[in-house]
Amino acid sequence: MSKTTIAFVGTPNCGKSTLFNLLTGLHQKVGNFPGVTVEPAIGTLHVDNSEIQLIDLPGTYSLQPKSRDEELTLSVLEGKEESLPKPDGVVFVIDGTNVEKALFLFSHFAELQIPTIAIVTMIDAIKVQGGALDDITLEQQLGVPVLTIVGSKGIGVDELKAQFSRLSEFSLPHVWSSEELQTSERYSMARELTNAVLNIHFYDKRTERLDRIFLHPILGPLVFLVVMAIFFQSIFTWSKPLMDGIDSIFQWTQDFVSSQLPAGLFQNFLTKGIIAGVGSVLLFLPQILLLNFFIVVLEDCGYLSRAAFLVDRMMGVFGLQGRSFIPLLGSFACAIPGIMSARIIPSEKDRMATMLVAPLMTCSARLPVYALLISAFVPAVLLGGLFSLQAIVLGGLYVLAAFSGLVIAAVFKRTMFRGSKLPFLIEFPPYRIPTFRNLLITVGNRSKEFVKSAGTIILVLSIVLWALTEFPQTSIPTGTSPIEASRIQLENSYAGQMGKLIQPIFAPLGFDWKLTIGVIGSFAAREVFVSVMGQLYSADVSEGDAPLREILAKTIPLPAALSILAFYVYALQCISTIAVLKRETGSWKWPAFAFGYTFILAYGLSFFVYRITLMYY
Amino acid sequence: MMINIADLPVGALAVIIGFGIANEFTERLQELGLTVGTKIKIIRRAPFKGPFEISYGHSSRLAVRPNENTAIYVRQVE
Repeated sequence: MSKTTIAFVGTPNCGKSTLFNLLTGLHQKVGNFPGVTVEPAIGTLHVDNSEIQLIDLPGTYSLQPKSRDEELTLSVLEGKEESLPKPDGVVFVIDGTNVEKALFLFSHFAELQIPTIAIVTMIDAIKVQGGALDDITLEQQLGVPVLTIVGSKGIGVDELKAQFSRLSEFSLPHVWSSEELQTSERYSMARELTNAVLNIHFYDKRTERLDRIFLHPILGPLVFLVVMAIFFQSIFTWSKPLMDGIDSIFQWTQDFVSSQLPAGLFQNFLTKGIIAGVGSVLLFLPQILLLNFFIVVLEDCGYLSRAAFLVDRMMGVFGLQGRSFIPLLGSFACAIPGIMSARIIPSEKDRMATMLVAPLMTCSARLPVYALLISAFVPAVLLGGLFSLQAIVLGGLYVLAAFSGLVIAAVFKRTMFRGSKLPFLIEFPPYRIPTFRNLLITVGNRSKEFVKSAGTIILVLSIVLWALTEFPQTSIPTGTSPIEASRIQLENSYAGQMGKLIQPIFAPLGFDWKLTIGVIGSFAAREVFVSVMGQLYSADVSEGDAPLREILAKTIPLPAALSILAFYVYALQCISTIAVLKRETGSWKWPAFAFGYTFILAYGLSFFVYRITLMYY
Repeated sequence: MMINIADLPVGALAVIIGFGIANEFTERLQELGLTVGTKIKIIRRAPFKGPFEISYGHSSRLAVRPNENTAIYVRQVE
């Protein structure tokens, strides 16, 4: 006998996913459908020794699809989606504070004639206002059993689980009319039914009061700035101790394994290939956890849509929308969680444009590169006795990258991702206190998803990079110092040979073969540039990069140094970002495109900087 | 008098009387309950001619970005 499949259907933000999380916990996986922003989660539930498959379909306002998300929902319900089975039953989720939109959707849904039960969520919010829902009348009118639940407390969930084992209690909804109905006719009927079953107009005083502050013309933007500052601070600074902790655990493991195994290729592969590779995947987790934590809190409490409302005008200048702000801000810490968080953008085109420019935001991995090059080549002078020239250059690089990113987003939106079928709309849900359980489950599932899908690609790519620097093995004369030995190995490796081979491509930018190897090596992560430079110049960088700085300042001509600095402003030198772009867009086409256009930009800027400095140098 | 919804002042009450264009954009607005005859109220506007927020129907609140597609025509009521 085949597994029973039950799909969850409802309008966006109806509490569907919270309910789904309560039922399935961490037993979820995310389906992968290109172009779908809210990918359906598939979970399993065990009731009375039988296994039930639950699918959380993207929310939709009607069954006349206007986006890929909505198309997917419709095609699954019609049984036309190959990778997902036609559901045996549907749980139709109705937001108790937003009943008429749900009933409008139900009027379409009823025509599909799938066995259904309806769930009314947020019933607590109605009761607080002295309201009541007449579930018996609703049951009679819809033709399906109606259950009420208090989503946040899980009251009613056990009853729902019990229903799943008795699929016979799911029933076919009443069709509202035998004739084709107009939207306005459906709405009149939905409103009439809403008035019949709900005795109050939901009006949340607390929400009104909070909005008078959060959406106030002056206070609103101030609150927004504070919230975003905390958000950014958390992923940029608070993640640091966690990342350092993970880093030292892997360092320790590497040292331990090295001490236990005889020196040689196998030991090298295990420590520098596997352990370092796994470490580089897990190193992203603190930022991913923190960023997702904040996004889920902001989304669940209802502030995210208010934030989007406030910055929409500003983002609109660049063809983006309010919700693009958060993924872009997050990308200043790291593009990996930034790109992942672009899932909060409901429009596919805006989401694509946002993801493709996210790598241009100056992430924290560029800082070590900037710090090394700026401290080595930009004189530490105070301009006008007040402003440090080094700080101005650093700040300038940040502003240049961010501004270019926004302009390029505008270009993308006017060309590749032109127009949208969907109007730009923001719904304001009532403010709610996020539940800890839902937070934990959502953040847990997203992190698991990252490790499983993007993590695997990152691991494979870092092992490939390891092999490129370790092969072919060069015999090193005895008595060579370890620093010198690693220089000889790197210089003769495939990566080293590649650097020398493709150096002519970078010659117009003033890069010698050493800088070129640095660029190749930093694909693992941009900060690797520093250690590769250390290796190539035989400088010990284990205790800060002061010695390397001095060597670089003496050996690299200023125009070449400024040129490589400029190169890192735009270049997508990061296999992890490429892996995540592949995961989030569903194909290698987009990461290839992102790599290509950023390379052209980086090359162009570098060339320009090199030529200009040559003239005055 | 027929005016565009985007030109209403904050606090104004109005009734939807029609749409300037028939496309998926206005179709979606109707699917959200902004059908002809629906009473709406302008709650607030984001700074610099940003999106405006309206309330309507049973308990709906929605923010719409004004653009060439926002051709919702209304009659202001007291």
